[in-house]
Amino acid sequence: MRNRRFRIGAQSLTPIQSFGIHGALLCLCIPALLPFIWMLSTSFKLDSDIYGSSKAGGAVVSLASLIPHPFHPQNYPEALKTVPFATYLFNSLGLCATTILGAVTSSAVVAYGFARVQFKGRDFWFMVMISTMALPGQVTMIPQFAVFRWLGWYGGYLPLTIPAFTGAPFFIFLLTQFFRTIPAEMAESARLDGAGEWTILCKIVLPLAKPALATCALFQFLGTWNDFMGPLLYINDPKKYTLAYGLQQFYSSYDGKWAQLMAAATLFTIPIIILFFFAQKTFIQGVATTGGRN
Amino acid sequence: MADSEIPSSGKAWASRALITFLVVFFAVFWVAQFRADHAQTARKKVRFWHMWTAEWKDVVDKVVDKFNKSQTEYEVEALSAPSQGADSKFILGVMGGDPPDVMAQWNPIIPPWANDNLLRPLDELMTADELRRFNAEAYPVVKKLGSYKGRLYGMSIGINMFALYYLPQQIRDAGLDPDHFPKTLEELTSWGQKLNQVDKNKNLIRLGWGPQGFPTFAPIFGGGLYDYKAKKLTIDTPKNLEALSYLAESRRRLGFDNMVRFTAGLDMNSFSGGWPFIGGAYSITVDGQWRVEQVRKYAPNLEYRTAPIPAPKGGMPFAGNSGGNFMIVPRGAKNPKGAWEFIKFWSGLNDPNTAAEFYTWGGWLPLTPAIAKAPIYQAYIRKYPQFKTFVDLMPSDNMNVLPPVPYQQFLADQMTKMEDGVMRGTMSPRKALKDLANRLDAEVKRREELGYEE
Amino acid sequence: MRKNLVGYLFISPWLLGFFVFTLGPFISSVALSFTRWDIVSAPKLVGAANYRALITNDPLFWKSLWITLKYAACAVPIGVLAGVLLALLLNSKVRGIAVYRTILFLPSIVPAVASSVVFIWILNPQIGLINGLLKRVGVVGPAWLADTKLAFPSLVLMSLWGVGGSMVIYLAGLKDVPVYLYEAAIVDGAGPFTRMRKITLPMLTPVIFFNLVMGVIGAFQYFTQAFIMTSGGPEESTTFYALYLFNRAWRYMDMGYACAMAWILFLIIVVITAFLFRTQKKWVHYGG
Repeated sequence: MRNRRFRIGAQSLTPIQSFGIHGALLCLCIPALLPFIWMLSTSFKLDSDIYGSSKAGGAVVSLASLIPHPFHPQNYPEALKTVPFATYLFNSLGLCATTILGAVTSSAVVAYGFARVQFKGRDFWFMVMISTMALPGQVTMIPQFAVFRWLGWYGGYLPLTIPAFTGAPFFIFLLTQFFRTIPAEMAESARLDGAGEWTILCKIVLPLAKPALATCALFQFLGTWNDFMGPLLYINDPKKYTLAYGLQQFYSSYDGKWAQLMAAATLFTIPIIILFFFAQKTFIQGVATTGGRN
Repeated sequence: MADSEIPSSGKAWASRALITFLVVFFAVFWVAQFRADHAQTARKKVRFWHMWTAEWKDVVDKVVDKFNKSQTEYEVEALSAPSQGADSKFILGVMGGDPPDVMAQWNPIIPPWANDNLLRPLDELMTADELRRFNAEAYPVVKKLGSYKGRLYGMSIGINMFALYYLPQQIRDAGLDPDHFPKTLEELTSWGQKLNQVDKNKNLIRLGWGPQGFPTFAPIFGGGLYDYKAKKLTIDTPKNLEALSYLAESRRRLGFDNMVRFTAGLDMNSFSGGWPFIGGAYSITVDGQWRVEQVRKYAPNLEYRTAPIPAPKGGMPFAGNSGGNFMIVPRGAKNPKGAWEFIKFWSGLNDPNTAAEFYTWGGWLPLTPAIAKAPIYQAYIRKYPQFKTFVDLMPSDNMNVLPPVPYQQFLADQMTKMEDGVMRGTMSPRKALKDLANRLDAEVKRREELGYEE
Repeated sequence: MRKNLVGYLFISPWLLGFFVFTLGPFISSVALSFTRWDIVSAPKLVGAANYRALITNDPLFWKSLWITLKYAACAVPIGVLAGVLLALLLNSKVRGIAVYRTILFLPSIVPAVASSVVFIWILNPQIGLINGLLKRVGVVGPAWLADTKLAFPSLVLMSLWGVGGSMVIYLAGLKDVPVYLYEAAIVDGAGPFTRMRKITLPMLTPVIFFNLVMGVIGAFQYFTQAFIMTSGGPEESTTFYALYLFNRAWRYMDMGYACAMAWILFLIIVVITAFLFRTQKKWVHYGG
């Protein structure tokens, strides 16, 4: 036993219930795994073995065809040779680290203001913030570009990172929802002890909202990791591009190298899987008990 | 501290490790940004953007390398901008005052971008002699595609042509003689019916002849989409209706639903060994010259031949619809002279013999007959005789291109949608053409009201 | 007074970003919607002509708006329901739950270039997985994405694969439910079903509300799948509003018109969102 926390439902789960849950989850896993398995299996195939849609009325593609035969791991070294993988990885991780730090900290601060501080115009600004998400980016792209250009940031990483430090409406809204559920008495007692809002945020609210903060970090990571248009539009130096750009390099409308594309896509995905696997343990389970410590 | 109340298990440790990693990486990354490298060369830079990726990018890099080796004055720096974002990047680059000097694009952007003053006319950059030679030598379709309102905006580095691909073995098996391939569309149609195959449930498993592509077939029937003299669209015409009805009839004969299922099951856009023609799903089909290169790569042992699409009675021989890859120079390019040097080098206007080699690297159709006649290009044709059909289409005056109107993309999208409806049997060809004409009229009217057309 | 200062101080990072990066582009896109603008030459004022043309003379505008409304009406409720159910399942204490969570999150992280190819394969009418299974039981499957009637429902169904994202948010919300509430309920003799209805779901409402609002905003701007997999076809049956807007803006170079489209969409989304915010007093429980 790691700790003697009260396990929700742990005592009430009969073997039959637990069996049912396993069954349901396993059924859900099959469709969820399909895209990934297909990507993985294709990445070990020869291009000529990828699904044979060239024949009509031919054999239906079965699940058995997911096993690559012959096994062709050379797609991986070849994919790594095609783009400067290490450079792109470094840039991707650097941008991810920057935007996560920027977006999570600033969003948390802003969300605290919206959730826990009563001030004039709060609801107005909150609705303004929500509505900034309602305008399609396609029509603000050019004016936005003009702003960054006017600031002299075109051609570098600043347009991709600085805005993160001003908070992301999606995260601000999410964190606001979480902060609001934290019992007010906890903050009140701290206030009686003479704590200011900043102290309450750092000492009480943030530790309790760890799952939400980690969720924001995860989404920011995914957003930056997958962002292809941002770097493409703002950067002109081939050495400064990211993995998402690198992945696009394998995908062209007149190219038949599906196997290499899938190898690259697998390499692109695996870091996220590993991160998520460890992160979900860390953040989803980490603070389950603290809610009841009053 | 709230932290102290969480049992300090491995989890708290892991979360701290993650945060530490974030901060350290953040620092390393930004420190690295200051270590900028200043590799200066004496030559003037020519910034070149293109949309090729993967192995096609390697071909581009090879051409760029050749150019840079041949040069003392300019040096081309190539940047691949994958097609999804290439147009936006280009437009923003021009707006931001930092465009490339030259970009390789496909032809549909020329009318709208030229109309919007995004492009620099190439004839401003050419010497009088170069312009004279271009006008005298370049294939007619090259000039049609690259020009807008009398000015030249794009220089072709690879034209696309469509012709028939067919499988001689399947034809022999059906008791026909592939050496006496049909010379009329009517004959071809009757061959196609003999080549169809169905399974025991009457589902089509092989299509003998599956014509499609209204823009290709309209000129073959003697129709067309644009009247260059009157500067007007010609959509709802008897000849066009004939062409569209022919396409619809080929579907109706086999059953619209049957055909939808058959074609949807096949990936006709596959650019690898998955092209259904390679698998024998089509005995005779229409496609572009790029398939020759594709078959070379993915199915080198396939026995196949090519032929021009034969005309029906009263139709036009060597007709069809064409497009291609074009070099353009944006407004505000900092080094247009260097750009033009590069364009000349690649397209082969000045030195066809050197450029001919580039065309063979990609399996591309040439700019001028001089390139086609270059020894290295002739050697390529001898090696892949199927390619010759396409080169022979190049001089044809019957070869059409999409109308040179600024709303060409809208027109192309609407036309695709119209043909889709006809090929599914949801709309009669007559009604479809009327609808298309009306929609385009409405768009033109809207543009006039807004003051776009001057 | 001091409260106000503190409040504005807290939201100042966002305010700064709003005024520097967002407000300008917003105002200019409103202004541009009253112009004709081919992106390059200077915009020319045309009054309300864009709006008039959209409403009176553009059948595709209405069609794409209808498709998008339909999509929002189907995909948002399905997504919320599926997300909550999935999160509840994944919140149970069974062996290997971490693996289940990772697997069920996978579809959200497989790159679109890979997953769209998989779906094209699964839905292939001749050799695809679904029609292959149907064939076993003697049913001739339809043409799915190539069928004018089925392409849209296929896309709605596919949106379920993206439910992993909201699932993570629900999971985080579930972990936020204070354990003492359950302790108290068990002491009172409440069964698992009652606990779910009386504690879990009410405590989850702030997160459900969040996903609902974001779901609506996302659904109205739905774009990527339709762009990659059907490019609006067959016969315009999947020409979503945002896809048409994209074509107007970047393919047909008609940015003024696209801005007008964007602002109509903006107003629709804001009205619906505001309505949702109105309702939240009735059903969203904030513990604090």
